[in-house]
Amino acid sequence: MNPVAALRGRIDRWFLSRRPPSDTLELTQRNVYIVPTRAGWMLGATLLVLLIASINYQLNLGYLLTFLLAGSVAVGMHVSHATLRGLSMHLIAPEAQYARAGAVFRVVLHNARRSVRYGIGMAVRGSGQWAWTDVPAESSATVEIAFQPETRGLHPVPPLTAETRFPLGTFRVWTVWRPAAQMLVYPAPELHPPPLPPGEPLSGQAASAALMRSQGAGEYDGVRAYRRGDPLKLVVWKKAAKAQAAGSEDLVSRDAQQAQREELWLDAEATGLPDLEARLSRLCAWVSMADRLGVDYGLRVAGRTLKPSQGEAHRRACLEVLATC
Amino acid sequence: MLKRLAALPRDARDTLFLLVVIGIVVLPQIGNLPWWCTGLTAAVLLWRGTLAVQARPLPGRWWRAALLAVTLIATFATHRTLLGRDAGVTLVIVLLALKTLELRARRDAFVVFFLSFFAMLTNFFYSQSLMTAITMLVALLGLLTALVNAHMPVGRPPLTQAAKTAGWMALAGAPIMLALFLLFPRLAPLWGTPGDAMAGRSGLSNTMRVGTIAQLALDDTIAARIKFDGAVPAQRDMYFRGPVLAQFDGREWTALLPWARGALQPNLRVQGAPVRYEVTLEASNRPWVLTLDAASSAPRVPAGIEVTGTSDLQWFANRTLNDLVRYRAESYTQFSSGPLQRTASLQAYQALPNGSNPRTVALAAQMRSDPALAGADTPALVRAVLERLRTGGYTYTLDPGIYGNDTADEFWFDRKEGFCEHIASSFVILMRALGVPARIVTGYQGGELNVIDNYWVLRNSDAHAWAEVWQEGSGWQRVDPTGAVAPGRVGRLQRLVPEPGIFAGAIGAMAPTFAIDMRAAWEAINNGWNQWVLNYTQSSQLNLLKNIGFDAPSLEDLAYALIYLLIGASLIGAAWTLWDRRSHDPWLRLLRQARNRLQRAGLELPDAAPPRQMALQTRERFGPAGQATHDWLLKLEAQRYARASPEADTTLRGLRAEFRRLAWPR
Repeated sequence: MNPVAALRGRIDRWFLSRRPPSDTLELTQRNVYIVPTRAGWMLGATLLVLLIASINYQLNLGYLLTFLLAGSVAVGMHVSHATLRGLSMHLIAPEAQYARAGAVFRVVLHNARRSVRYGIGMAVRGSGQWAWTDVPAESSATVEIAFQPETRGLHPVPPLTAETRFPLGTFRVWTVWRPAAQMLVYPAPELHPPPLPPGEPLSGQAASAALMRSQGAGEYDGVRAYRRGDPLKLVVWKKAAKAQAAGSEDLVSRDAQQAQREELWLDAEATGLPDLEARLSRLCAWVSMADRLGVDYGLRVAGRTLKPSQGEAHRRACLEVLATC
Repeated sequence: MLKRLAALPRDARDTLFLLVVIGIVVLPQIGNLPWWCTGLTAAVLLWRGTLAVQARPLPGRWWRAALLAVTLIATFATHRTLLGRDAGVTLVIVLLALKTLELRARRDAFVVFFLSFFAMLTNFFYSQSLMTAITMLVALLGLLTALVNAHMPVGRPPLTQAAKTAGWMALAGAPIMLALFLLFPRLAPLWGTPGDAMAGRSGLSNTMRVGTIAQLALDDTIAARIKFDGAVPAQRDMYFRGPVLAQFDGREWTALLPWARGALQPNLRVQGAPVRYEVTLEASNRPWVLTLDAASSAPRVPAGIEVTGTSDLQWFANRTLNDLVRYRAESYTQFSSGPLQRTASLQAYQALPNGSNPRTVALAAQMRSDPALAGADTPALVRAVLERLRTGGYTYTLDPGIYGNDTADEFWFDRKEGFCEHIASSFVILMRALGVPARIVTGYQGGELNVIDNYWVLRNSDAHAWAEVWQEGSGWQRVDPTGAVAPGRVGRLQRLVPEPGIFAGAIGAMAPTFAIDMRAAWEAINNGWNQWVLNYTQSSQLNLLKNIGFDAPSLEDLAYALIYLLIGASLIGAAWTLWDRRSHDPWLRLLRQARNRLQRAGLELPDAAPPRQMALQTRERFGPAGQATHDWLLKLEAQRYARASPEADTTLRGLRAEFRRLAWPR
């Protein structure tokens, strides 16, 4: 890395470290910055040429034109700064995302002013993927900022930036915002994963537990007591209605794996892949696959074990383990 | 049609709007541009508009290159150069139109905007009138609107919204414009103005072919405006001196070359009190500095111009006057000039080409042989010729027909009609044939008072030619032979006016003075524009400073005034920022200040802690030392939330004062 870039990186980190992280940011004189754009410099050069022409040809009307334009640009600078100044931004707690997949942050912009703020762009700092919005007078607007998380894990939300060039495009007015919220990024699922691994035979204890369970339910084969996380379509609603009439609150689900004597373990060792990240990617893909099939699955990875189960809560728990292990 | 416009996609609508604005920028130029330039520009703009409406792709690079090549060739063919001012204007206009053909990215749009600003400025090379200013103001607002609109990226905002923002910015920018306009030091031209500036203006000429002033006589445009300081001289004495023509080649009168005028001082002899006045001379593209006959000292012209006088009482600037100039001068209406004794240099004023106007020469010989005139001096000869003009059936007309070769012969013997230049020319030829040194003076005579602003207006139709004859013992004397033919012409008792058009005639029939009043009012407005805007020169700037209180203002003081103004504006801006911050909730600000104090003392407080919680935590942490703060915080709470209760009667101001006095725990 060349020294200039290194220095820039240092200045940048120092600059960022000065902003206290917060999920809400009030934009004031202190955190809104302004510099002329390239078009602004060009307009400046145009003004200079107009002025020189006015001097050389002694055109008083030329002076008037030049100065009126200069005055308008000066006012434009103020308008530009005021477009961001006084705005308040609030980050809505971000959902967990898959790595390397298109994701969005949602930010609510609140405008207390009695006039509209036009042309405000927001982006993850340095991404260049701008989302543009107007914020109506005394009201708020929600922006969805596209971004692509690169690595799994629990990350702080990357620094965001808001920018405007309204009204003349001669000045770039921007702010940098470090939200305090954290964001969970799951591993990127493998694109074309192999089929799920074969089930492992139930150990004696687990097998008898399964038997007990089916007997405990006291019902026919294929039905078991409702467990948290069971898909609603598996609930036997007729029985539920009967049970309710009898004064019981218990629900029952159809048990697809009733006859099953083996259970599905998603094991990092079983993937046969040497690299941890590759294993996690495959496990991630398998979790989604198993969840779609509606089977019970357990997870064994990096010394952590999640017992076989299914449902949304289980899926999230599995993905979280994959994200943070 | 409007519905279709409203239904256009935003892109097409914005493009059409910008094209219309460009049209407004270019429109006033049409008269100054070569015909092909106007045609090409209009065609390209229309083409681009059609493409936008039909959402068709823009033409390829080859099209643009070809059009550019055509433009360069045509410009070179028209102006014989690609540089120069006129060629530059032509190029800027066509480039502006061509650039719209690649109006895609924001960068291209910016180039169009900047070219438009240049094109607007080029307008002022040709006209700085009030009308031009109004048109350009509209164009500037249009351009700003388009620029603002381009920076409203969301949806399809109505153009009126962008127009409102642009208008507001221009309005708020106007004070800045005014300050800069008043105080920005007016400098002399940085390099010589190219010679093609102001080409093709009508006005007085330094040659006179008999019959050409006729066009001027019908030209109602204003040549100059005069403001007299005190007493206004009689209208019949208002002769404004232009070129003096003394060399005649049989067809055309021209000014003598400088060295042939005689290396004499003007020898001006004046009588009576001087007349002081200020002249606002319209652009003439000539170096003449018009003065009332006869100015004894050089007119005081703006910086950047130097004037020199000649022996025939003319004043010349060191450059052509391509724009409005205002200057002050001092003149004496009673004067004579030139040598008192006959000198060799007077020979030049007696010369006549051989063989021209033989009948006039014969007339002179016949008069000389008349016993009544034998040995007569100049006044007697002048009286005799004027008598002939008065009684010989000569008439004054603006439409004398076309004269042949020997104009004086035709005038004296055949047609016997004409206007000032026929009469003056024939008079001078006859005087020269009689052996009297004589010359033609051209300029303006008379003028008209605009009662609204008390300026005397000289129009090109007031252009006049008269004669001066030399007389032993008293020098050059003015003789206006036209007065002998048409006494009303001199002194403006009667004026030949071209027939009014149908429209003007109809208005005149209904309200005879209406048209005159309207014209007077409009010209007064225009004159105000000239005086206050176009004539705002370095000396006006320094005068302004003098009025503000500078004793001996200089350019340096201007810079100081500008800097002071800048500092003042910044201070106002800072004050406004403070006020803006104040306008946030003062109660919340006070609470935040208290929180900062406590946090500095080491108390851990969440940002959202209400005053009561802060109070409790303070007492818990600091014990009795925090009691005062605790009480104050509770009062702060009461002030906000329990205003009805008696102990909450403290005002925010009181709380703030207490805040300052409070012994904060450390």
